[in-house]
Amino acid sequence: MQRWTSQALAVPPRTAWQRADLEFEGVEHDGASFVMHVFLNNPDADEATPRTPEQRYAGYLTVFAHGDCWGDVGHCDIPEPVSAFDRRPPHPLLPFDATLEISEALAALPDGIGEITVTVLAFNKNDDTDGVLRFKELTLLTYA
Amino acid sequence: MTITARPAPNAAPVRLKVRKNIDSLSAQELSDFRRAVKQSMALNDKRGFEYFAGWHGVPLGWCQHHDPLFLPWHRAYLYWLELALQSEVPGVTLPWWDWSKSAGIPSAYSSAQADGADNVLAKAPINVLNATRKSGWPTETSRALGEVPNTPAPPYQQEWANAMQATTYADFSQRIWTVHDTLHVWVGGTMAQVDWAAYDPVFFAHHANVDRAWRIWQAAHPGANPPANILDQSLQTDPAMQVHQTLDVHQLGYEYAGTQATVAGSA
Repeated sequence: MQRWTSQALAVPPRTAWQRADLEFEGVEHDGASFVMHVFLNNPDADEATPRTPEQRYAGYLTVFAHGDCWGDVGHCDIPEPVSAFDRRPPHPLLPFDATLEISEALAALPDGIGEITVTVLAFNKNDDTDGVLRFKELTLLTYA
Repeated sequence: MTITARPAPNAAPVRLKVRKNIDSLSAQELSDFRRAVKQSMALNDKRGFEYFAGWHGVPLGWCQHHDPLFLPWHRAYLYWLELALQSEVPGVTLPWWDWSKSAGIPSAYSSAQADGADNVLAKAPINVLNATRKSGWPTETSRALGEVPNTPAPPYQQEWANAMQATTYADFSQRIWTVHDTLHVWVGGTMAQVDWAAYDPVFFAHHANVDRAWRIWQAAHPGANPPANILDQSLQTDPAMQVHQTLDVHQLGYEYAGTQATVAGSA
């Protein structure tokens, strides 16, 4: 299991939003498939932590990934366009953005909390402790 | 809803083919479907199962995931495969596995034996068409239920309901691809690897249910289409199809039904 905890993310007052999403930007999916369980303000969460509102559990995302590189050398390297007229489809291993709606979990936190941390527990079949979840940025988006 | 559609504006209406729940197929329907898959697997050319399986991952890698093309690409994929199966056994359709209600893999896909032989839907050889086998390539499909710890198991009733509550295509697409990913990962084995998943026949029962979800959602949200800037985009299939051509299942000649009962008329 890999555990990752974010830096603090600013949270607007409860009256300012109706929906809240966590956006994991640039998620890599070239490795083993994995599942990630997300907690708010619970940096000590581990595999044994109940996935309940009391533990500030926010939900899960699963990533169906490629597993390995099965082609020839360079097959899984993401190439740059070779020309401005390169209209080939994007490489299938381009990172993607994964969204988890956390409105209920965020609303359950005390109003005026100001900021949260996000803890992710990520599991793959190899029981890796590192490199399971690889992504560029995490953003908390709220919508009025 | 309707059971007929016009294949072209001035053509006479024809009856739509109905995709059914795998658990509701008659013994004959299931036997016919298995026969179509088995015959298709015996074809080592562009009519065969291995060719279609190769669209998704090794060797062609045409599939679309985690973006707005996910649903249109897979709808086109199933459409072309279903036609190929119908060329083998007329009238067969792709059954769906309703993982929003059912726990476990349907027995039609998990029983080791069927019709007095190995069940072609339970395990399949992986013979990549027109490719030299490389070290590490699997030789047959495998499943390893729950191999990724803490992956939720079906039924995914809540996840299905959450997807159906989406009010925009973007939200629906993302919610349904998320539960789609979960099912793949829960089944494990080759089903949990994008590059090999489609060699397992259960892949298509899974995706028929994803496609059914989209169909149901579309019926409840008429006009809620993918973004305008992708409607004319070509989907990598053989032949190619544009996104807008995937939006109406009646124009693709099929519909989903929970039940279907027909009796003779008075003529």
